Amino acid sequence: MNEDTKPPKPGFLPIETNWFDRLFISVVIWVALSLFWFRFIEPLGLSIWICCAISAVLAVYIIRKG
Amino acid sequence: MHSKTLGWALLAPTLILLFFFGVVPFIYVLFVSFHQWNPFAVNPDMIFNWAENYRRVVFDAQFLASFGVTIAFVFFAVVSELIIGYALAQAFMRDFPGKAFFRTIHTLPLIMAPIIVGSIWKLMTTPSIGILPNILDDWLGYNLNIGQSALQAFTVTVIMDIWHWTPLVTLSLIAALVSLPPDPFEQAQIDGANKRQIFWHITLPMIRPAIIATVFIRLMDALRTVDEVLMLTGGGPGSATRYLGVHIFKEVFPRTNYGYGSAISVVVLYLTIVACWLLYVSLIAPRNTRKG
Repeated sequence: MNEDTKPPKPGFLPIETNWFDRLFISVVIWVALSLFWFRFIEPLGLSIWICCAISAVLAVYIIRKG
Repeated sequence: MHSKTLGWALLAPTLILLFFFGVVPFIYVLFVSFHQWNPFAVNPDMIFNWAENYRRVVFDAQFLASFGVTIAFVFFAVVSELIIGYALAQAFMRDFPGKAFFRTIHTLPLIMAPIIVGSIWKLMTTPSIGILPNILDDWLGYNLNIGQSALQAFTVTVIMDIWHWTPLVTLSLIAALVSLPPDPFEQAQIDGANKRQIFWHITLPMIRPAIIATVFIRLMDALRTVDEVLMLTGGGPGSATRYLGVHIFKEVFPRTNYGYGSAISVVVLYLTIVACWLLYVSLIAPRNTRKG
């Protein structure tokens, strides 16, 4: 079946999305989380790489299940 | 030629232009934002410093203050422009003597360069020679000095933005109102609906796409205001009108801090995209019918 004719994938997000929308949402969340981490979590001693790992897992989850 | 191929072929010039004038500069700014770079320093080389610039952005008190005043500026300016623009659009839908003349006069600020608008408003608000402080002092005994009062400076920049950009809103809404079919309005009048009901239940839903498009344009524009504010107040007094655009300008040009300035620009772009996206999601995006 062609991508254009596929019905929109129902997921946990409240809006209809395609894979690019979900990628976009993941990037937006990644950046927000990173800036938040820089400001509040990193001063406590936790590396930004932990945030990157969390964001990557979140991104995969959102792209696949969103 | 296959219709899809023809479609791509016709789109190609635009896509190529967009790539070179939109995507490439953005990637370059993103690249610079991960470097420490002062091309006019003793060592003009770009030094990769991971996300140090972004780490600095979230602790930059001046940036956070700029962000706060920018949000306030955007809110007051865009909401006022929408309300005044709609009222003017409705007024221009009616016939009155000199309508064409007033419509032309009303559109004039739109064709003025922002730097000229800033200069004019600076002349109008300079305490010794400006018309506004003199009129306010003579008529109301009110002392207007935007060089000293933070609130006055902020208010004048908002009013200047409203003066400059309301015509854009008016023109968009006139175009939307003109294109409305008369049938629903006649039907509503026959059914006995009053003006307020007609506005809320017929006019507003029908011009919603035009309102949303206009808000998008104004939101993006207001978030990156630089020139007119820089000309009028220079970001002052203190940091009262140091909006994000002004902050970036001051960081990049006088201080030649290109890497850090690029990082702030990327953050501002990010915030603009998020604001527009949230607006899109809340107002336009189709709902997911089945939640997983």
